[in-house]
Amino acid sequence: MKSLLLLSGLGLSAMLAELFNLKKFLFPLVCLGLLATIGVSIYDYNTDIHLFNNMLRLDNSALMFTGSMAFITLLWLIGAQDYIEKETSISDKYALILFTLVGAFVMVSYNNLTMLFIGLEILSMSLYVLAGSKKNDLLSNEAAIKYFLMGSFATGFLLFGIALIYGVTGSFHIDVIGEYCRANANNMPNMFLAAILLILVGMAFKASAAPFHFWAPDVYTGAPTLVTTYMVTVVKTAAVVSFMRLFYTSFGSVPYSWQVIVSIIAVLTMFIGNVTAVYQPKVKRLLAYSSVAHAGYLLVGLVALSNLSNGAIFYYTLAYSVASILAFHILFVLADSKNNDIDINAFNGLVKRNPLMAFGMTVAMFSLAGIPPIAGFFGKYYIFSAAIEAGRYKLVLLAVIASLISIYFYFKIVIAVYFKTTNEKTIKLSNSYKLLYAICIAILFAMAIAPQFFITIQQ
Amino acid sequence: MTLYIFYFLSFLAILSAFMVVFSKNPVHSVLYLIVTFFAIAGHYILLNAQFLAAVHIIVYAGAIMVLFLYVIMMLNLNKETEPHKSTYLKLAATVSGGIFMVVLIGSLKGVEKIENLNAANQSAGLIKNLGHVLYNDYMLPFEMASILFLTAMVGAVLLGKNELK
Repeated sequence: MKSLLLLSGLGLSAMLAELFNLKKFLFPLVCLGLLATIGVSIYDYNTDIHLFNNMLRLDNSALMFTGSMAFITLLWLIGAQDYIEKETSISDKYALILFTLVGAFVMVSYNNLTMLFIGLEILSMSLYVLAGSKKNDLLSNEAAIKYFLMGSFATGFLLFGIALIYGVTGSFHIDVIGEYCRANANNMPNMFLAAILLILVGMAFKASAAPFHFWAPDVYTGAPTLVTTYMVTVVKTAAVVSFMRLFYTSFGSVPYSWQVIVSIIAVLTMFIGNVTAVYQPKVKRLLAYSSVAHAGYLLVGLVALSNLSNGAIFYYTLAYSVASILAFHILFVLADSKNNDIDINAFNGLVKRNPLMAFGMTVAMFSLAGIPPIAGFFGKYYIFSAAIEAGRYKLVLLAVIASLISIYFYFKIVIAVYFKTTNEKTIKLSNSYKLLYAICIAILFAMAIAPQFFITIQQ
Repeated sequence: MTLYIFYFLSFLAILSAFMVVFSKNPVHSVLYLIVTFFAIAGHYILLNAQFLAAVHIIVYAGAIMVLFLYVIMMLNLNKETEPHKSTYLKLAATVSGGIFMVVLIGSLKGVEKIENLNAANQSAGLIKNLGHVLYNDYMLPFEMASILFLTAMVGAVLLGKNELK
């Protein structure tokens, strides 16, 4: 509740700042607000509060995901400050970002399907606009309109599913739906199964899982780089967590077949994402496909559906988000001087031009690929062990093969960074970028030292 | 009597929905869509949701359809200039739409097993009762919707504003 009030109030004050000419103070104010949100989430740890007739349930999972998403947004803002403040309508952009966070908060803590819908819509609505916020760029416009049309369509499916579920169970509360499932496990009406299918379509779309991923590469490529960063980190976390929350609480005891469907979706997503990424010459599009593949790994954790999988998904999203922020912000700085869409050759000899960027890119790529000493490895390790615990060996085998494929294109970038030469001059970084890179690298190593801590705080 | 009205309204809704899709002229499509909305509003009244029916007509048939007509007018879509889709695309759309229809029809099997949990209430759709529900049970979603609309408004301003430095 406190985080909801904090974030909404922060969004409103960001809008009003333009009126009172306080735009200079917006960045520190927003940072403080996000820090306060993180603090409040940690302070409320282990209090299982139900709010407003059970509309929201702030259990540990909800609190920790709220904290981690606020933290990711904070990291994102450190790198994005220059970009946001260079352009017009600063306060509007801050407001939209904060409202997306309100939507994300609702999506990780809802206990009622109406809240899920409203959270999802708040999140998506701001993103449609942010994706098109580079108004003179044709690709950005295309991204916005594509995301908007496809997103509305997917929301339609989700709503249809919710309506059918209400028709069967007579309730929007996910715990009541869960009880209905346990009581009628052997006698499920077909309508309920159709409803699960429809909701699955809607949620898979939002998490950009195959075969509903077609929007993702185009939107991620067309949108301004920093907005893409936000989409592949915070938004993907919120989508996957809301997916998990609904299926874990409500449909966990439905006897047959949604697990099979999600497994197939997960395998398709991993392979399509990774195999297509191999053929991408442009780095931004490559990272877009790799983020599609990562949605697949998260779905593997979702299929496992155990206590461990909750913690594993928490760890994975955090490690994945920090690594993505690092990679995309380096890409952003590197592409800033030239046009927006650089290919891998632009990374040639980066180690000579700026060692910190080179090291950061290497750590990010290693983490995304899942190479041992870095956080990404433990993320994959916990996800896969949760799936093995649930007895899904074939799925884990396929996931390992998919991540072996992914090593190829992540290493292509690392090789370009270290072993190729270039005549380009060195890059000067501003202090905020140095700080951001250092923090991200430090977190990725620190998370690898104590992975068990992140798993246990989820339970 | 109610049953006959139900059949009539359903027939009207489905027929005009088909006409929306099949008519070549976009303006005709919009007019058929209005007929569809009125038929659905009739269904709401049959279900004791009087307030919803009124709002449905005012918002959809009134506001949104006028918006549609304006868009058609502004973009000058009145001509029959819609480009033809490829056969491959049409085939894919037909197959996936057909599968979706099979799923929905299949879901109706065994519907009689579902018990009616919320018994019909004559006055359920009156404004007074609706207000009670909105401000008690659904207080939070109702208030959160304001943030949704605020977001949409900020977004519209952000996209519509001229870039002035």
